[in-house]
Amino acid sequence: MVDQSMAIMTIIVMALVVYLTRAGGYLLGLQVRHIGTLRPVLEILPGCAFMAILAPAVRQGSLLDLVALVCVTGIMWTTDNVAVASALGLVVLLFGEEILGLIT
Amino acid sequence: MSFQQSMWLGARASIGFWISTFLFGLLFGLAAASAGIEQWKALFMSAAVFSASAQFAALEFWEAPLPLASIALSVALVSSRNILLGMSLTHQLGDYSFVRRMTHLALLTDPAAVMILRLQYNVDRLGYLTGYGLALFVSWICSTWTGYTFAHLLADAKIDSLDFAGPMVMTTMMILFVKGSKRRSFPWLISGIVSLIMFEVGMPAYTILPVSVAAGVVVSLRLGTSNG
Repeated sequence: MVDQSMAIMTIIVMALVVYLTRAGGYLLGLQVRHIGTLRPVLEILPGCAFMAILAPAVRQGSLLDLVALVCVTGIMWTTDNVAVASALGLVVLLFGEEILGLIT
Repeated sequence: MSFQQSMWLGARASIGFWISTFLFGLLFGLAAASAGIEQWKALFMSAAVFSASAQFAALEFWEAPLPLASIALSVALVSSRNILLGMSLTHQLGDYSFVRRMTHLALLTDPAAVMILRLQYNVDRLGYLTGYGLALFVSWICSTWTGYTFAHLLADAKIDSLDFAGPMVMTTMMILFVKGSKRRSFPWLISGIVSLIMFEVGMPAYTILPVSVAAGVVVSLRLGTSNG
């Protein structure tokens, strides 16, 4: 049984750590914002982080995961509609095996 | 555009990611229930931490006695991309007081940062961030409650098939980035390639993010230099 006060303290520490990463990046950016050439670099950082996380995840994905990814990419590229793309991707992940089974 | 108008705009713009946030909240509620966490603690965690990746990381260690240092370290590692998101907003949050900017940064999420960097017209970015964050916060809390409450109704097999939902949502954000960017996507491509190579050769997971991002930054600086 997890001790109640320890659980609460752990959650508070987690909240602090997450907040510090959010605010810390902003504070770090404020220190270098006077360097004009860094602005475009700062703005590409989230994209670089997403790609660094995405590439190995896609590499490890199953065939069904990749089908979902292709559907999401196609919808996003043509419509920019996050809700439709996410919903379709989820349907493929949840029911893809059954759908493929019906087709084949 | 005023703070309030921008806040409302942000809340409305969040609808697409509201759904995916709800899904992750459902999964977190389910996972918290199966880890034996009491419902009020799961809700408290969602309210205080408001980060899917950090909360899922903590669940991996959630058993007595709680290893506080391990949880804090893993939360810090999975949240490290927030540092980059925060840095990217350096020029975006206007002239509000320092305290106000720092307070509202508690609502910073990946999709909000992506959308703010895509905004091209006169929107109050801090208001937009706040509206976007509050809307996703509501989604996160409601879905944690729903997932926890109805955990017993869902089959484990279906939950496992949603493991790829995270990368899928990240892909939607990446496409918004690529389509909305006035800059070249080459640095992002390089980050992805470096990350993939490091993964394939078995480099430690904690080194992949910083090295890949650094590679993208170097390429961006080189492109900036050659263009300038």
